[in-house]
Amino acid sequence: MHIAMPLADARARVPELLIFDHDGDADTRLLARLAEACERYTPMVALHLPQSLVLDISGCVHLFGDEHLLVQDIEDRFDGAGLSFQWALAGTVDAALALARFGLKEGAQAQLPVAALDMNDKTHRSLERAGLYHIGDLADRPRAPLAARFGAELVLKLERLLGQEDRPVNPKRKSSAIITERRFAEPMGHIDSALLCLHELFIEAAQMLEDRKQGARKIAMQLFRCDGHVAKLAIETGAPTRDDKLFRRLLNERIDTLNDPLDPGFGYDLVRLSIAAAESLDAVQTDMDGGRDAASDEAALLSQLSIRLGRQDVQRFEPANSYIPEHGLHARAALDYKDAFIWDQPESGAPPTRPLFLFDPPQHIKVMAEVPDGPPRRFIWKRVTHDVTRAEGPERIASIWWRKRQGHLPGKAGLTRDYYRVEDSEGRRYWLFRYGLYGTEKAQPDWYIHGSFA
Amino acid sequence: MNISDSIHRKNKGKAASLSLSSASCLDENIKKGGAILLGAQRFDHALRQGLPKAALHEVQAALKDDTPCASAFCLLLAERCRLSGQKGSNPILWVDEKQTQRCRNLLYPPGLVELGIDPNRIIYAQATTVIAALKTAADAVRSNAVVSVILALSGKNPRGLDLTATRRLSLFARESGVTVFLLRDQLSSLSTAAYSRWQISSAPSRPLEANAPGHPVFNVKLLRHRRGIEGLSSRLEWNRDSRIFKEYAPDIGAVPAVSVFGTDYQEQRRRA
Repeated sequence: MHIAMPLADARARVPELLIFDHDGDADTRLLARLAEACERYTPMVALHLPQSLVLDISGCVHLFGDEHLLVQDIEDRFDGAGLSFQWALAGTVDAALALARFGLKEGAQAQLPVAALDMNDKTHRSLERAGLYHIGDLADRPRAPLAARFGAELVLKLERLLGQEDRPVNPKRKSSAIITERRFAEPMGHIDSALLCLHELFIEAAQMLEDRKQGARKIAMQLFRCDGHVAKLAIETGAPTRDDKLFRRLLNERIDTLNDPLDPGFGYDLVRLSIAAAESLDAVQTDMDGGRDAASDEAALLSQLSIRLGRQDVQRFEPANSYIPEHGLHARAALDYKDAFIWDQPESGAPPTRPLFLFDPPQHIKVMAEVPDGPPRRFIWKRVTHDVTRAEGPERIASIWWRKRQGHLPGKAGLTRDYYRVEDSEGRRYWLFRYGLYGTEKAQPDWYIHGSFA
Repeated sequence: MNISDSIHRKNKGKAASLSLSSASCLDENIKKGGAILLGAQRFDHALRQGLPKAALHEVQAALKDDTPCASAFCLLLAERCRLSGQKGSNPILWVDEKQTQRCRNLLYPPGLVELGIDPNRIIYAQATTVIAALKTAADAVRSNAVVSVILALSGKNPRGLDLTATRRLSLFARESGVTVFLLRDQLSSLSTAAYSRWQISSAPSRPLEANAPGHPVFNVKLLRHRRGIEGLSSRLEWNRDSRIFKEYAPDIGAVPAVSVFGTDYQEQRRRA
């Protein structure tokens, strides 16, 4: 009898054979139970579906004497439970799995058939046709021709089998997501009671979070209506929190800003709250006199405003790693902001060289200058003429020629900008630029206004 | 029981009781929060030791083109307020309306650095409506998490901005000690509950070498003050290195000397 034998053949050989349908789910459940049972040997137990368990026993062996005593112990226990299994020890996960699959023992990788590579049948056949039957035949061959003929995946798998390359064990044991829910025998027709229920669920979740020393960053909520409609709500907070009052405030904010208000219809029969993202948060000792913590106030305010105005509309500034002026407008959502940035400080005593407001995009203006490549004398912006009384410049800012196709060639680099700080007769200060070098890059360069100073 | 409602009700109750108190009591309350000093001594003296922090101040640009100047004045006052207070690490909240036109006019962080303002300490919020902006500002003032709030509104009569709304803001400010600046991009006589109202316009700067534009200079005029201070007007220059305003004394011959006391703005412009 062997695996993948036709049923008729098997029956012909053993007439009294009992037959069962394959139940993959039950196998998986059994395997999961066995994995839990194996956590007595090591915390690093990973499921390798459909039929294997991986135990990372490094550092755990001395508790049992040596590796073979440990395996002996596992064998005894499996025997006791009426189960039999194949096992192997190896330096890497893939090597151990392949050895166990083909019933070989430690260090026998070279005797494994090429099928142990777990590629497709076609690859296995063509390897065998080339006279390469065992992993040992492949081991000494140069990798480059193999990769060229059979693909880089084969080389990767081969190196994993030979223990030259490892992949990490993904242990089964990890903290599960926190989900709290409440079912109702009778559908609940009121929004307020649903919100109250969410509040209670959050308090439950907060207790679980406290046990893990975590706080919620994202909270997802689902309200299941009895006619099948599901209302989804989500809250994101500025800092990890377990504060139910803050949660209630943010929840109310969320409800207020919904585009289409919640409609309970025939009522909700299931309310579920899950913590979609959590971060570590230690318990904090507050002042005895109930003083308020400025940092948590700030985080609460940012969460509230981000819910009301939209995540992208509450921003903090971030320095841009670029000298192109408009890249400096970069801002990111305040919820993503972590630490203070370091900004380039201006030279002491120098006047501001960058405007307080930047126009995005720059606006076209008409300029009169004494000489075509000199500072402006007068400019017309929005049909108003400004007489320039003071000017400084040019500050020459080149285009990003290295990003351009053939940007290193003359004439292909894009237009250079010459910036001028100017002040008009009314005392208003502007930032203007000439787009393109006169004569060399452009015959009649255009002028733009890019910002205004204080 | 709705928690935010209860907070709301509590504050409403406070507001009602405060509005009944006498004007002198109001001043006492405000004084406790400390004051923002501009740095120019004559000015601070005339204001009787600066502008109170726990109050609403209105800053208006003389003309639409002076808006950058008025914004800078607000930001600099807020920064001075942040540097002088104990809550120095708290941020400044800038709230304005989301710009929908094709060419947007955006606050530029490198420009903030050039004025001596730390961009790390600015939260930039954009609301879709004036009402949302007012609500945002009110929540921020109440939360005690920011050191000051700058509410920038455009237009002559923004829908929703009225005496009641500004009164709410100024009461919240008095409660929490957070300074609120209402920044308007044009002159407006709309009655508000502001403690002081200022008119700001840009002024020619002191030229540097080779006739380069110098440090920012502001024409500052006090239009209204709760304690009846009148006729205060001056030309102030911002000094980034020491982060103070200085009274501007023009170099002889560089700029025609203009008396700025008690003159009407338009007339002053014409003469300059």
